[in-house]
Amino acid sequence: MYRGREGQWAFYLHRISGIAIILFLALHVTEISSSMFGPKWFNALLKFEENPIFGLGLVAVAALVLYHALNGLRIILMDFTSWGVRLQRQLWYAVWVVYVVLGFPMLFIMLRHVFVGGE
Amino acid sequence: MQVTLKILRYNPEKDARPHWESYRLEAEPMDRVLDLLHQVKWEKDGTLAFRKSCGHGICGSDAMMINGVNRLACKTLVKDLGTDVITVEPIRGLPVEKDLVVDMEPFFEAYRAVKPWLINDEPPPERERLQSPEERAVFDEGTKCILCAACTTSCPVFWVNGTYLGPSAIVQAHRFIFDSRDKGAHERFPALGSTGGVWRCRTAYNCTEACPREIPVTQLIEEVKRAIMFGQM
Repeated sequence: MYRGREGQWAFYLHRISGIAIILFLALHVTEISSSMFGPKWFNALLKFEENPIFGLGLVAVAALVLYHALNGLRIILMDFTSWGVRLQRQLWYAVWVVYVVLGFPMLFIMLRHVFVGGE
Repeated sequence: MQVTLKILRYNPEKDARPHWESYRLEAEPMDRVLDLLHQVKWEKDGTLAFRKSCGHGICGSDAMMINGVNRLACKTLVKDLGTDVITVEPIRGLPVEKDLVVDMEPFFEAYRAVKPWLINDEPPPERERLQSPEERAVFDEGTKCILCAACTTSCPVFWVNGTYLGPSAIVQAHRFIFDSRDKGAHERFPALGSTGGVWRCRTAYNCTEACPREIPVTQLIEEVKRAIMFGQM
């Protein structure tokens, strides 16, 4: 493994999270379009997806979306400002600070929904 | 001090694939990795192949992957590695010819693609083409490049893409695009704006970290991106 620094890991994680989001989107569209076959199939599928495995998968996708969104803002700053590239490392740490601040309440709400249920 | 030098060896006439070989060497902390390679070649195994020329960080011949990072063997001191196990591999993304020697032709092909020479059809003035110190400073960083390929072969996109020009060629393009005497931007933009051009850069910064001349490579690539996008030229 090439011993790159923050930028390399930011890129790898961005690419992996991007692919995961696309795969989720494909799955999601497939799920919704199953309603074409009538309520019987659609409801059965939704029932099947009540399994906590899917709930945890959703938490994982949400975690990846949050990283992809925040690092995307970092990339916009690097691409469109004269100072973004110079501060790329600090920006990456800022991404993780915001990630934790936004991610923890999200995690709490989602996990409660998965295991306790309700609104 | 005793060090272990692990080299990824490959002899195309004998080996199916590269393999590691270890050498126990007596080294001084101020020895360069290049000195260790010489010690192996001169005293232990004369078949070891690697490229070097000036040995002083100017010719750009001896870029290699040392302890997982691209560096020049002649500018890397044993003491700076902070370990007594030193691994040396050929730079990645170019075909290995033997041991640490790679075929640099794809690298130079990308270099030629950006037309790295002055393009200006205007009749030459009676004396030199004048330039202010401020105009000169704009492209100063790119002039430091020694074409060692440490940046290009540290790039994750270059390893897998196959068409990407690579950081070094873009740095060379930057050196001329931002030169006030040069009028060739429109001739260079087709190669730079194509699918193998600047848009393949995903800002992983390995190039910037690897450059032995401390050129802010990613910064220059981003400037070329903006020049193309906003039609600055």
